[in-house]
Amino acid sequence: MAALTGLRACLPSMLQLSTSGLLHCSYKVCSVPLSRRGFATEAKKVYTRDKPHVNIGTIGHVDHGKTTLTAAITKVLAEAGGARYKKYEDIDNAPEEKARGITINASHVEYATANRHYGHIDCPGHADYVKNMITGTAQLDGCILVVAATDGQMPQTREHLLLAQQIGVEHVVVFINKADAVDDPEMLDLVELEMREVLTEFGYDGENTPIITGSALCALENKKPELGVNAVLKLLEVVDSYVPLPKRELDKPFLLPIEGVYSIPGRGTVVTGTLERGIIKKGDECEFVGHNRSFKSVVTGVEMFHQSLERAEAGDNLGALVRGLKRDEVRRGMVMSKPGSIQPHQKVQAQVYILSKEEGGRHKPFVTNFMPVMFSLTWDMACRVVLPLDKEMVMPGEDTSLTLNLRQPMVLEKGQRFTLRDGNKTIGTGLVTDILTTTADDNVNWG
Amino acid sequence: MAFYSILRSIRPDFSRVCLSKHVQSVHMSCPHFAIEKALLLKLRKTTGYTFINCKKALEKFDNDINQAENWLHEQAQKDGWSKATRLEGRRAKEGLIGQLVGDRAAVMVEVNCETDFVARNERFQELVRDVVFSVMAHHLRKTEGQSRYMKSLLSVEDLTAMSVSEGGTLADLLALTIGHLGENITLKRAAMLGVPTDWRIGSYVHGPLAGVKGPAMGRYGALVVFKGGQGEAAALGRKLGQHVVGEAPVSLGNADDLPCGDSETRLLPQSFLLDPSQTVAQYLAKEGAHVLDFIRFQCGEGA
Repeated sequence: MAALTGLRACLPSMLQLSTSGLLHCSYKVCSVPLSRRGFATEAKKVYTRDKPHVNIGTIGHVDHGKTTLTAAITKVLAEAGGARYKKYEDIDNAPEEKARGITINASHVEYATANRHYGHIDCPGHADYVKNMITGTAQLDGCILVVAATDGQMPQTREHLLLAQQIGVEHVVVFINKADAVDDPEMLDLVELEMREVLTEFGYDGENTPIITGSALCALENKKPELGVNAVLKLLEVVDSYVPLPKRELDKPFLLPIEGVYSIPGRGTVVTGTLERGIIKKGDECEFVGHNRSFKSVVTGVEMFHQSLERAEAGDNLGALVRGLKRDEVRRGMVMSKPGSIQPHQKVQAQVYILSKEEGGRHKPFVTNFMPVMFSLTWDMACRVVLPLDKEMVMPGEDTSLTLNLRQPMVLEKGQRFTLRDGNKTIGTGLVTDILTTTADDNVNWG
Repeated sequence: MAFYSILRSIRPDFSRVCLSKHVQSVHMSCPHFAIEKALLLKLRKTTGYTFINCKKALEKFDNDINQAENWLHEQAQKDGWSKATRLEGRRAKEGLIGQLVGDRAAVMVEVNCETDFVARNERFQELVRDVVFSVMAHHLRKTEGQSRYMKSLLSVEDLTAMSVSEGGTLADLLALTIGHLGENITLKRAAMLGVPTDWRIGSYVHGPLAGVKGPAMGRYGALVVFKGGQGEAAALGRKLGQHVVGEAPVSLGNADDLPCGDSETRLLPQSFLLDPSQTVAQYLAKEGAHVLDFIRFQCGEGA
């Protein structure tokens, strides 16, 4: 078994070697004229996409060793060639990061195991994790809950698990840290038992959740390998196997938000846009949805840069020739999608972050019936805000749940991101959490 | 259901416990090590102290759970103090504003901690509640029999030396909570208001925690002292409080001041939050009320 994993670890690294060698060669070719021009000669490391990427986070009490664990992971993996060792001092800064104009405190570290490339994120507070989820800076696919064996679960562990639940983390792995400071192995069992209990209480699979016991400090100081290096390796192995790979955008049904419509004499009508997800091929059936219209057709050609294309993938900026389409039948803001994969909706529940004044947002709070304009995909539409029952107003700089009533149904689905603007200001950004059905009194008073 | 799952999770360990106890008694037959695991779990569950301390307590009192619990409570105060001194100076800028409004008196306090996770925890909210009640008691003692307007701010020293109803000082209570939550917690400030009979105090706390009883708590708080007003005074006071939280005025200003747009920091010329077509002064004139003073706390400001 050990030999097998060893082999598994070797293979990708061999692959990596050869690809990086190739890249290096090609770099050399072009680096000659560059250096002649007097640019910095030091080559920037090239990111090789040879492993699937997964985002994980650490949550836990401030003194339970999240940062030490992160440092230990990079140290252990650096020895295997999968990371650059980052010392505790290098990590523990939680720099302010700007994403979509929103300031998030988060420290970000990357490393790779034999099978995967990880982005490891650690935020100091609940609010930062929620902002992170709303903006989609690094959607967490799984998370490591760090708890010290000396203290066991803390009162705020409940809040940590509530957060994980709220931001939609389905897979939690527990690392019981500081095991070197506890002499009695029975204590460790008790801490583990208690963690399983609390995990179950919060709707996680407490009985089968992997729980690893170890000491990040030992790993850093090269002491007691069974608690140090080996425990960290075991943790990584468990994260590799327990946290599933996120679904790739390519595997989802295709969605093309329409940016422009052009009629080409002699050929027909072409719609253009950036393919949000999925794959489009010539001959695919498609459906146009949005702006109170919906009809089906067939893609008869896909082009990129005036060259025809066999298949277009998510991220491609393309033009699609559609059979029998009239120019005035479609307009910007509609989408072309795989038939039946997406529907227009008029009322949604969303989790929204309202920008603070420093981030360029409003300086005033708003109350129910506030009417901003919602921007998502390529459409924009006026909408009316209804605050949750226990809230009377929303202050800038806070996150909240909101009900949004659109003036007209637009293409919306769970998990879709959007921006709210008022006048010439971006006031917030949000994530659709639920689709609601419109009731009669939602449509009154549009002015 | 929860009980069942606990039972279920304990069961596999039960056999292990029996086994290990058996082995232990063979090897050393020392009464010190014969801690009942079930007792240990129970003690930990009821008191919330760490397993290590619970075990120490049970060892000390030979599995007498009541004595152990008492000892743990005593020990917790000591541990709290040592932890408090160790954590002192760490940056605490999260936390809560607590507010209690009585008939003719109101208090508002700010308690800080390091992360918003702790601010969301019940234990921390209990501390804020105790602080609010202590400050209110202190205020009522001080102003007994007086009916003039008074507004005072308490320093950190006064706050920590204040006594709590269960005995001891707020500083002791603070240390105890620090021992439990393991984060630096500080009492930042407190304000007390007392008003004559015909004056009113309006209040608003923003982001009140759902399902919390007693004093209101949140990230922003405002107290507004006003006179007159038709209709229900509490509703008017709440609207004014909301305005103060939302628009963050710095000074009161005069009713006939000319408003200077969005950057206006005087309360009366500001446009009213709930009806931007009029200024606060105009709204008050319509309601027949006068605002005399206000206090606004924002959690973590100036830290």
